[in-house]
Parts: sequence; C-alpha cells; structure tokens
Amino acid sequence: MSAAIMNKSLPMLEVDNVRKVFVDNDFETVVLKGVTFNLERGEMVAMLGPSGSGKSTLLSILGTLMRPTSGSLRMLGEDLIKLNQNQLSDFRNRRIGFIFQYHHLLPDFTALENVMFPHAGRVGRETAFARERAAMLLERVGLKDRMNYRATRLSGGQKQRVAVARSLMNEPALILADEPTGNLDRENADQVFALMTEIQRETGTTFLLSTHDRELADKCGRRIHMRGGIVVSQARTAEAPVLRVLDKTVGWQAQDSRHVS
Amino acid sequence: MRFELKVALRYLLSNRVQSALLIGGVAVAVTVFTFNAALINGLAEFQIQRVVGSSAHVIIEPAKPAPAVVPGRAGAERLTVSQRSLERRAQIKQWRTIANSVENLPGVTAMSLNINGTGLVSRGQMTMPVTLKGVEPSRLSAIAPVDDSIILGESRLGLSDILIGKKLATDLGLGIGQPVFVQSDQGRIKTLTVRGIYTTGVDSLDARLGYVNLETARVLFDLPEGLSEIELKLENIYAARDVARQIATGTGLEVSAWMDRNQRLREALEGQGSSGSIIKMFTLITIVVGVASALLLTTMRRRAEIGIMRSFGLSERFVLSVFMLQGALIGIIGSIIGCLMGYGFSLFLASITTSSGGRLPVDPALGQYQSALLLAAAASILAAIWPARSASRIDPVEAISQ
Repeated sequence: MSAAIMNKSLPMLEVDNVRKVFVDNDFETVVLKGVTFNLERGEMVAMLGPSGSGKSTLLSILGTLMRPTSGSLRMLGEDLIKLNQNQLSDFRNRRIGFIFQYHHLLPDFTALENVMFPHAGRVGRETAFARERAAMLLERVGLKDRMNYRATRLSGGQKQRVAVARSLMNEPALILADEPTGNLDRENADQVFALMTEIQRETGTTFLLSTHDRELADKCGRRIHMRGGIVVSQARTAEAPVLRVLDKTVGWQAQDSRHVS
Repeated sequence: MRFELKVALRYLLSNRVQSALLIGGVAVAVTVFTFNAALINGLAEFQIQRVVGSSAHVIIEPAKPAPAVVPGRAGAERLTVSQRSLERRAQIKQWRTIANSVENLPGVTAMSLNINGTGLVSRGQMTMPVTLKGVEPSRLSAIAPVDDSIILGESRLGLSDILIGKKLATDLGLGIGQPVFVQSDQGRIKTLTVRGIYTTGVDSLDARLGYVNLETARVLFDLPEGLSEIELKLENIYAARDVARQIATGTGLEVSAWMDRNQRLREALEGQGSSGSIIKMFTLITIVVGVASALLLTTMRRRAEIGIMRSFGLSERFVLSVFMLQGALIGIIGSIIGCLMGYGFSLFLASITTSSGGRLPVDPALGQYQSALLLAAAASILAAIWPARSASRIDPVEAISQ
C-alpha cells in the first residue's frame, strides 16, 4: 500500500461504473446507476446535486463505509472491493478522513481527545506523538486555547473546526466531506471552508466535498454534478482564490514536520 | 492506560447516576449473596458443631458377620436370608491392640472405650428405662463434655457410682448420694449411688442416659473381655469418612463417620445448601439482567458516537472492548463494594445477641467472598456481551445519518 502511495503517477481515486441498489422487501431502489470519475492527487473537488441524487451514498461508498453493488473502486491503485471488513477499517483509519454536516464530536471528550481519537483508538493508547500532533492541528484550526474544552462547550463553528482537525489526525490521503458547512451560518461556513482550502494547499491532501452551496463550489478546483444517480457533468473552475479569514497569528510553522506530502 | 479502558471509564463517569445505580445494584446483589452464604454456612457450621461437639466423630463397632454364601452359577440371582446370632454377643474382642493403634493415628484427638447397654433404673415403685454407657472414669469427657454439664454433685465415677440426667433425676425424685437399683438387659442387678446430675439441654438424653464406670458395665452387661464400641474425636471433623475407611480396612470392624450417622443433619444441611444456592443464583441473574439492560440502553443512546468511531476506521473489536470493559468495571467495583457490605452486615448481625441470649449463627468468615467476586464479575461481563456485540455491529452509515 505504501509503495502505491509513493507512486505519484497513480490517481488518488478511480471510480468506475459504481452502482448501488438498495433492496428492501423485494423493492429495489437504484441509487447509483453507474458512476465513473477520477480524483487526482491534491485536488479539491466539489460534488453538487439535488437531494436524493446519490451524493451521500457515493461518499459512503468512497469512504468504504458501504460496499457498492457493482463497479470498481481503486484508491492509489489499491482495489478496495477486494479488502475484507477489517482491512477496510484499517484502510479507512489510515487513508481517509471524514467531515460530516453535523460535527459528530464525541461529547464526553475534550477537543484534544476528539482529535486524537482516530489514532489512539487504533494504537490502543494516547501516545505523546498523537498528543503533539492533535495539539498542532487544533492550533492550526485556531483552537489552541480550547484544546481542553469538552466538545459540548464549543460553539457550532468551533466544533466543525475540531472535526476538520480530527479528519486530518492520521494524515489521510483523501478527505471526504459531506456538506461540511451545511449546518453553519455564512461566516462560520466561510471560515471552515477557507480552512479546508488552506489545508488542501499546504498539505496536498485531496478533498472531495458535497455541497449545496454554489458559491463555495466555485472556489473548488473542479465540480462534479450529480443527478438521478449518475454524474451529469464535470467542470474545471478557475483557480479558487485563497481566503485568509483565520487569525493571522496562527502560523503554519507548526505544520507537522513528519507529514509526507 | 489502554485507550479502550479510558473510553469505558469516561462513559461510566459521564452518566454518573446510571453508573452509580448499576454499581449499587450489583453491590446489593453481592451483599445478598455473601450475607446469604455467611448465614447458611454459619448455620450449617453451628448445627454441625452442636452435633459433633458432644458426640463421636468416628465410632468403631463390632463387625456384622457376612453370611456365608454357597457359590452358584455365574450370573444367577441369589437371595440370602440371615438371622442375627442370638448366642454370641456382639463385641470387640481385640480392643486393646485396636485402641492402641487407633489412638496413635494422626488427627485423632480423643478416644473413649465404651460398653453400652440398656436397663432399668428403679427407686421404690418407680422404674424407668435407661441407656447405660460404661466409660473409663479418666475419659468420661473425652467425647461429650460431661464434666462441664454436671449441675449437681460431681463427675467422679467410682465402681458403684452413676451419673444421671436432670430429667431422670426429677422423674425418679433422685438426689445426690441416693441409691438406685439398676437392672441390666442381661438380668444383672446392682445398687449404684447417684454421684452427679447433668444436663445436656436435650431432654431425651437427660431422661434416658446414664454413665457408669466401664468395670461396672462389664459386670452389668456380662462382658468380661470385649467392648461395645470405641469412640473417636478428630482434629478435622471433615476427615471423619477417610479415617473411618482407613480403620475399617485395617481392622475389618464396622466403622462409621458422624456424617453418615446423622442423616437428618445431612438432609437439613443439604436443604439449606440448595435453598442458599437458589438465592445465590437469583442474585446472579439479577446482575445479568440489570447490567445487560442498562448497557443495551447505553449502546442505543450512543449509536451515533459508535457510528462515528467506526467511520474513523476503529475496529469492531475496539467498540466491543469499550462496552465489555464497562460491564467488567461495573461488575468488579460493584462486587468489591458488595463484599465489603456483606461482610459488614454479617459482622454486625453476628455481634447482636438475640433475645434468648444466644448469637445469630452468622459467620462473617464464611461469606464466600472470592466466589461472589468472581461470579458477580463474570455475570457482569457475560451481561455485557450482548450489548457490546450489538454495539460493535452498528452500521456506521445508518448511525451517522440519524
């Protein structure tokens, strides 16, 4: 797997003719009717489409939380269809980050513990490295002073920024964001989006985000339009302008030196 | 600290009321378990001590001769009828050698050589049936604490002395120093002097049992050589069966242990034991039901959180461990508290003197704390399996979208 990741010629994600059919009491619902597209490394791609167009199902499949009914799915050359449940869990843990519309922080844990969770849960303890990295990530999202706050004590925008930091914890190659700003007001939505854009530029992490927000979608490098379970169009946008809404004092010098880009 | 343990602890601490109630529930169940054990075992010990304290642990009696059987066809059924010999008295003839070797057996603490028989005690026109026990004066209290139960007179047993129970003394209007006629079942008559009056607390004994000197008994029961029985006391009463078997093998005599002679006691103990086991089983079932239902509710409430953990790629095993550990923590903490409470409660009840002046037969040392601890913890872990498995199988997509 690591060899494939080092091979820079391989696309981040190759989605080929992915179909998803839900069967409920002999009643079949075809949600994805053959989706095909690629994601290149370091891209930031917006996925647009009306509700029910299959965006969330596609994100679940790309995130290995759900298996497609048919079609192929390769990430950095690795055939994800062939992996078993445990291998998929491990793959997800190491390679994929999730950001949801609702922050889904664990309410009984502090911001720092929430960020560390994907790492600590895998290795079985909270390592000094994880603590350091989580602190750095929280600093990066502008929440250095909220590190030891319980998740429940943070505001909506702060929670979503913690969720962004958490998605980055295990240095994923791909971050899947399902309407990450959908629950936020304009100001917070812009802040969170700007943060993701910056991180994408700084770290080269690939982002695929579904959104209803055309203004934000226009700031992504590429847009994929979905309708009725298929990709209806793909369009490259002009390079998105960099937003600088974060506190200027939060520098990127804290960037993890161990990061492999 | 293992991260799973940290998460389990955090979950327990986040819902303090529920956790406290659960731990409290386990603790109460374990209290009932240990107190019940302390009471049932204490009661059993009390009953056993009452029986073995004043009676022999092992009794050696003459062999019952096996009837001679004529060899027949192999596999053929044989019906044998034997009649007890009426000519020969049952007695232990070689008692000197047997007594010597038996007294030196490890674990034997006391021995009494007896000649027993029945007879009649009469004074004036009054006659009462008695069981007479002839013992060596020096070993009078070897088996039953006769010395300590004398209420009038003394426990000296001269050749013409007899010790009788309080009830018999009252029935015949006998006092210390008064003569009685004793007629044995062998027809011998002797005049004996009442030297002491005792009470055992058991009316039937106080009305029927008299102690005489072994030599006097020889004359009364016409046994110049042998003995009717040899009684033994042991250091460890529970070794009685082994000791009995050993002596029986070595001597060919009829040897019985106290537990085999007291069927009623054994039945009573077994009855108490099984009712105690039923109570214990119910306490364990209570733990399983309580812990399982509470943890199941917790997994329902935390569905979305479990879904999110699965979405970060944490394994089913991680989720399973978190919930199993919660069950284990509840079980271990609850049962430790329960053991302490059970011990304290037993100690308290054991210290109370009842209205009749006695003590409740609760023995705090017999609370079976180790098994309570192990079983309660095991019950809690068992109870956690189902909720933990259902938690680990939560579909992340479904859970997160809720």
